[in-house]
Amino acid sequence: MDFLASGSKEEKAGPTIETEITDQCALFAQPEDDFRVEVLVARGARVAQGMPVLRSRRHPELTLVAPVAGEVAAIDLGPGRRLSRVLFFHVPEAGRHQHDVAAAGGGDAAAVRALLLSAGLWPSFRSRPFGRIPAPGETPAAIFVMALDTRPDAPSPRLALDGREEDLATGLRALAGLTEGAVVVCQDQGPDIGGMAGLGARCHIRKVAPIHPHGLAGFQLAACHPAGPGHTVWDIHAEDVAGIGALLRTGLVPETRLVSVAGSALRERRLVRCQPGADLRALSYDIARPGPHRLLSGSMLDGVESRWLGRWHRQVTGIAEASRDDRLHWFSAALRRARRPLPIIPTAALDQAFGGVLPAAPLVRAIASNDAETATRLGALSLTEEDMALADYVTGASPRLSAMLRGMLDRIAAEEAA
Amino acid sequence: MTRGLWDRETVALMLLAAAMPLVVTWLLATGTAGLVRLIFVLVAAGLWHLAFMLARAQPPSFSGAFTALAITVLAPVDLGLVPMLLGISFGVVAGELAFGGWGRNVVNPATVAITFLGFGFPAASWPDLPVQLGWSVAAVSAIGGVTGVMSWRVVAAAAVVLAAGCWGLALEMPVLTAAAVVLVLLVCDPVASAGTTLGRWLYGLLYGALVLLFAVGWDGAPPVQAAVSAALIASLAAPLLDEIAISLWLARRKRLG
Repeated sequence: MDFLASGSKEEKAGPTIETEITDQCALFAQPEDDFRVEVLVARGARVAQGMPVLRSRRHPELTLVAPVAGEVAAIDLGPGRRLSRVLFFHVPEAGRHQHDVAAAGGGDAAAVRALLLSAGLWPSFRSRPFGRIPAPGETPAAIFVMALDTRPDAPSPRLALDGREEDLATGLRALAGLTEGAVVVCQDQGPDIGGMAGLGARCHIRKVAPIHPHGLAGFQLAACHPAGPGHTVWDIHAEDVAGIGALLRTGLVPETRLVSVAGSALRERRLVRCQPGADLRALSYDIARPGPHRLLSGSMLDGVESRWLGRWHRQVTGIAEASRDDRLHWFSAALRRARRPLPIIPTAALDQAFGGVLPAAPLVRAIASNDAETATRLGALSLTEEDMALADYVTGASPRLSAMLRGMLDRIAAEEAA
Repeated sequence: MTRGLWDRETVALMLLAAAMPLVVTWLLATGTAGLVRLIFVLVAAGLWHLAFMLARAQPPSFSGAFTALAITVLAPVDLGLVPMLLGISFGVVAGELAFGGWGRNVVNPATVAITFLGFGFPAASWPDLPVQLGWSVAAVSAIGGVTGVMSWRVVAAAAVVLAAGCWGLALEMPVLTAAAVVLVLLVCDPVASAGTTLGRWLYGLLYGALVLLFAVGWDGAPPVQAAVSAALIASLAAPLLDEIAISLWLARRKRLG
């Protein structure tokens, strides 16, 4: 499996990137996100791209905007007005919504914060510990800008940033206003990403080995700014920072993000620019191999099965459906299945799945035995599910370590809130 | 979504594959008697794995074969059938299966079995390991290190100490051979050894130092018994070494905030 080397393929081949706005797209949330909303538009209404459509009831400053110019096709809310899904049909004539950037354009930090919250770009930040959308009033101790992505088949952020140095610089300046601490731009070993000039000592570049999992924000911030209670650290993709810059300059919410569509169930790998929340089937149906398959939002390691592109995802992966016939003879089932999960043996493979940043074996042991105190001591609060995905893959852990880590983080968060 | 390679059974099979040079060398040196002994230990250990599968739904593991190999090579020789069965049962059950199988044990089951037999039946004589067995260890640790199922840090640390002892104390060949074979069969078990980077270095150093100490200060000890005792003490100290390594790591991270 050569996925570790595949990051450089597109540079050699010279990528062709089409812009593909899918006919349907959605703003959605899982029940466990507990995202209670106030709906600002009616079903059937025509919305401009970037127009506010949902407002959080818990944090009324936070709004979500229409990902596409179109029509609101369906609004599905769960119990307690929890967002389930708002479906949009693409209607190009609906145009784009212009946000008022007069106050924020001057560089006032509070105005920038208010603009990001009202223009729906706030959810592109992820706050750790716990890996959630940051609260509107939160001030991070550091912000990590990920200008590399080492996941298998991930699109190179350099392609997304090509020709957008000015937007990136504006965006980075805005980020520096959101934090008192450092703004760290993680990039590969190549030439420095543009847009860093004149940003001061707080903003610096961190060069990272282009090997998974080093390109995950979790391990980068665990290495130099570990997150903990009262010490939140945010991360954001560099393309989203350029999007913030573009919003500040033009008042328009970015329409697309660069997404790679790949996987063993697809005939070829392609790069597309599509809207957030795009329909995964529309992105992949013409290159799918015959036979049943599943579409994941995210990479083959950390993807989740979904109809729509996830909030922080820039990959669509099609994998062949595993055969459903898993009825075993009782004896061979006894040989393979355990009453308790099989333990994970600490090998060099496990160490490398943690990038050598955190003590892999003790941390995995603490997570598997649900020992929140030890796991916290060993740096688990800097991690989220996606950071565990490689260890899950490598060790074939069952139940998955990422699920166990998520359970532990939720419990720690609940204890802290209480 | 998709599953990788390095689950428990792959690691156990890789350990067995790495041990193949040693197995072949040992069988060539001991002939049919060795083969019979190996099969006997394999069957005895396997029966306990089967019993735990049926009684406690605990899937058997190929690591049982690795344990059996270590017991075959290192356990005292001219014991009767019953003491041998007792020792194997005690090691496999009390050292591994009672804890929930390989991966949850504290000490290597083979170490437990061999020390149980050695100290429980002090009249039994310890095996003299053929010299070529020591050389096969180089191949074993190379395969184990490259595939990552054995920690090269443990091997390197122990090798450094043993080389220093060789040069400074003029260790004899039987001691070196026993120390090398015990190193790959017992000390390098990924479960019972230390789990952190620094911890693994310390663990290898501790094992090597104990071998030197016993070679100098334990008069009349058979080389294999001294090496197995060193392995037992080192593996009991492994959690402490990990704790030291983690404390140092946390102290260094304090300044990160």
